[in-house]
Amino acid sequence: MALAETLTRPPGGRAARKAGAIGIIANPVSARDIRRVIANATALQITDRANIVLRVLSSVKACGVSHVYMMPENGGIRHHVRRGIDRAENQGLDHFPKVEHLDYKISGTVDDTLRAARQMREMGVAAIVVLGGDGTHRAVVSACGDIPIAGISTGTNNAFPEHREPTITGLGVGLAVSGRVPPEIAFQPNKKLVVRVGDHQEIALVDVAVVTERFIGARALWRTETFRELFVTFADPEVIGMSAIAGLLQPVTRQDGHGLHVRLASEDDARLVLETPIAPGYLRRIGIRDYRAMPIRRKFRPEIGDGSLALDGERELAFNETDDVTIELVANAFRTVNVTACMHYAAQHGLMRNNQNLNQHSSGGSS
Amino acid sequence: MKTATKKKSAPAAFPLDRAGLLKAYRTMRTIREFEERLHAEFAKGDIPGFVHLYAGEEAAGTGIMMHLQDKDRIASTHRGHGHCIAKGVDPKAMMAEIYGKASGSCRGKGGSMHIADLSKGMMGANGILGAGAPLACGAALAAKFRGDGAVGISFIGDGASNQGTFLESLNLAAVWNLPAIFVVENNGYAESTSRDYAVAVDSYVDRAAGFGLPGVTVDGLDFFTVYEAAGEIIKRAREGGGPALLECKMVRMYGHFEGDQQAYRGKGEVEDIRANKDCLKMFSERVIEAGIIARGELEAIDRECLAVIDEALAYAKAAPLPKPADLLNDVYVSY
Amino acid sequence: MARTLTMRQAINEALDQEMARDQNVILMGEDIAGGQGGDGELDAWGGPLGVTKGLYHKHPGRVLDTPLSESAFIGAAIGAAACGMRPVAELMFLDFMGVCFDQIFNQAAKFKYMFGGKAQTPIVIRAMVGAGFRAAAQHSQMLTPLFTHIPGLKVVCPSNAYDAKGLLIQSIRDNDPVIFCEHKNLYDSQADVPAESYAIPFGEANVVRDGGDCTIVAYGLMVGRAMEAAKQLSPKGPKGGVECEVIDLRTLSPIDWDTVIDSVERTGRLVCVDEANPRCSIASDVSAMVAQECFKALKGPIRMVTAPHTPVPFSPVLEDLYIPSAAAIAAAVTKTMAQ
Repeated sequence: MALAETLTRPPGGRAARKAGAIGIIANPVSARDIRRVIANATALQITDRANIVLRVLSSVKACGVSHVYMMPENGGIRHHVRRGIDRAENQGLDHFPKVEHLDYKISGTVDDTLRAARQMREMGVAAIVVLGGDGTHRAVVSACGDIPIAGISTGTNNAFPEHREPTITGLGVGLAVSGRVPPEIAFQPNKKLVVRVGDHQEIALVDVAVVTERFIGARALWRTETFRELFVTFADPEVIGMSAIAGLLQPVTRQDGHGLHVRLASEDDARLVLETPIAPGYLRRIGIRDYRAMPIRRKFRPEIGDGSLALDGERELAFNETDDVTIELVANAFRTVNVTACMHYAAQHGLMRNNQNLNQHSSGGSS
Repeated sequence: MKTATKKKSAPAAFPLDRAGLLKAYRTMRTIREFEERLHAEFAKGDIPGFVHLYAGEEAAGTGIMMHLQDKDRIASTHRGHGHCIAKGVDPKAMMAEIYGKASGSCRGKGGSMHIADLSKGMMGANGILGAGAPLACGAALAAKFRGDGAVGISFIGDGASNQGTFLESLNLAAVWNLPAIFVVENNGYAESTSRDYAVAVDSYVDRAAGFGLPGVTVDGLDFFTVYEAAGEIIKRAREGGGPALLECKMVRMYGHFEGDQQAYRGKGEVEDIRANKDCLKMFSERVIEAGIIARGELEAIDRECLAVIDEALAYAKAAPLPKPADLLNDVYVSY
Repeated sequence: MARTLTMRQAINEALDQEMARDQNVILMGEDIAGGQGGDGELDAWGGPLGVTKGLYHKHPGRVLDTPLSESAFIGAAIGAAACGMRPVAELMFLDFMGVCFDQIFNQAAKFKYMFGGKAQTPIVIRAMVGAGFRAAAQHSQMLTPLFTHIPGLKVVCPSNAYDAKGLLIQSIRDNDPVIFCEHKNLYDSQADVPAESYAIPFGEANVVRDGGDCTIVAYGLMVGRAMEAAKQLSPKGPKGGVECEVIDLRTLSPIDWDTVIDSVERTGRLVCVDEANPRCSIASDVSAMVAQECFKALKGPIRMVTAPHTPVPFSPVLEDLYIPSAAAIAAAVTKTMAQ
């Protein structure tokens, strides 16, 4: 792409105006579980979530996205978003794309997320921006097929979505879906874990923990004495949650062609003991028996017969001796918007330069 | 310490042992049976006044009350039968009260909306929405003065959560760091008005946060979720960690009151609740599937609960009516 | 040993002595210590008019300043009372009952009856009442009739420092909810007050002046005005010729019907004085009861002297007109004597 052409194009210029619609799934009930009491986790308020949506809307609009579909919810996000959009319209400003909520009856459960993701896939949106924690992202990925997602962390553990100002996430998404950043740079593949209990199948984006509790209950994991095994897609020492255990043992990137399998033990039987932030502000000693790389497409079975599986930090599936339980790492499972790559590409190629506002002198000083 | 861990006692697979699980089931089934029976009897026209049924919400009341002792006090709502039973109030006396009989919990002077038993820590169902929250703060204050580790729990619906009393109480509990717990039973309806209309931000965690309290939202239909979350919140309050809020998302099987035609409900809503959102079914399936309790054991409890309610009803119907002199007594301790 | 104390001091002493006697007695209210959370002095106010001054340091942890949140703290006091405490909650101005009335009349007043006698709520709600403080319509009302109307509540309104101490001690020891009304224009009034603790039983009116010609029933600030009128009318007084019997009701619920009826049976005439508005007031209540019980004894029409049916005005010239005066009471006596 010629430099001159780049410089004369306003942000979200002609090509961007053709940008397809995107979807936004903002979960009103993430960051609401017991970790606000057993640990000291944040409880991001509804108005903050709505403000994040408004920030994303401004960003994608600036990149030429004219239409956004949102998951309907009754938590209060939509009302605050609507006020923001109405005010801009009343002022005659063109800050926001057209926002439309999908039309179905709200259940107030994860079904809303699954349904929104499915509908957005069927509509062929160019990307889905997700506001939630690891659990919300997992639900979206399980239903969105090959639609790329961009995560914004509004949950509790948030190992999966990267921590970033949502305005920038919105810009990255806008630049990606408008084609301003080439797809091979804009989107990246991710691994996932596929869990089967008999005929039932679930996925995890970050980790699967095998615990001895046989009930789902408050979902969160904090009783370390119940931990038995851990499988992770990637292991980042900079995150908290169950995957932090793996991250502090042997980091594995999201791109590496393997995951990690960690077997846990009581402190007495452990080969080493790891001080691990397993929830916000909640550091615990975790006994490690051993760990090894988890290859792609090999089926693992839990070593205990009765227990439950926690997916991305939340107990989801109970199992017993009679169940055939497998855990398997799958590569190239779904796509995410690589916001870092998009923004660096944008800087290198001057995608955000607006010729109309620059005098000739400064327009000459580009890379 | 080392020998203790060497024993390798397996960590609890369930938060309650068998006896505890059976007790929880019995409580929930007793409540359900009590309410189903009232539903049937009310239709016959024998019950004076009006009743508000707790059917469908049993897991929340039971999951919380399983952690409480008599010294812990609760301030209930107009929909209080379930709270009463879970807190240990005698179903016979309750039934007699609902029939306006002299042997009722309140000697026939309170009725369905005012059943109380202070000896069990039940500070009363309450006909005034939102009025229980300050009272629970008072119970928590008294517990704090006594230093007995007790807690005060206020139950409130999503409708009454818009009352100033509730919001003032959140602030007061935080200011005084009271062992007070606010349970929002979010069943989706304020009488006939949906929470989607009447609650600007349907997140009680947000409300709690506005007053500096931690808040937790749980699936109030899942006994285990409520039990586990309530356990942590109550423990925290007993340990001096201060007030907290627990939002239980739940459903109402019946109308606001008996006789409510429920035209405001969506098509198939009640059927869906019966089929897919029945907290008793969910509990049964979980413990049976886990192989801890056999279906037959639960069915035996069902029969026993049925007998308890049969007996309560017979007792209530046969119980003596208040005497004319009762009109005038118990207004004051002394006057 | 009696000393001369103001009513403010007498109330303070009653609270102090009861707190020392019973650890379950706690005080709650807005600014009852004052200065909480600031950089200055704690117990800076001791209540907006200094009534509770000094108790904060004397009884550590038991004098609780509250947020400006009457529903919550009055309700909490009621809840604590139902759980065995004996809270004395200060509502500051009785006019503020508007924001917490539910807790008083639907909760505290009804627990005993509604729960079949199995609850008791030993709470005292202290509040300032009455006009004359140039505090206008929302800080000056005499709302005693509203509370007296409600079964389950007791209502007390002392007229002097001696009664204030004894009645407050009784209120705290009483096992029913008590609305204790303190007339702000009486705080500086003085009387001989014994140093030791004493309780004045409820439902016992005080005949503060004997007389055979006309009964005047009053309470609170009006007792003094009635006495003034009686003096003016007495054969030795400037208007001469009528001996009035003046009854200070002291408690409005329970009320001492016997003393009132006995007196009217003797005098045959009744003037009811009430600083409250006239309709459904203590004055109309007493008048109705006497009309029913002493019809044959009455020699003339019962007369009521009350505030007019208006809010309390601000301008001093209007407010002074609003409050029943000794002259108005004397005129009422003269009028009933003339028939």
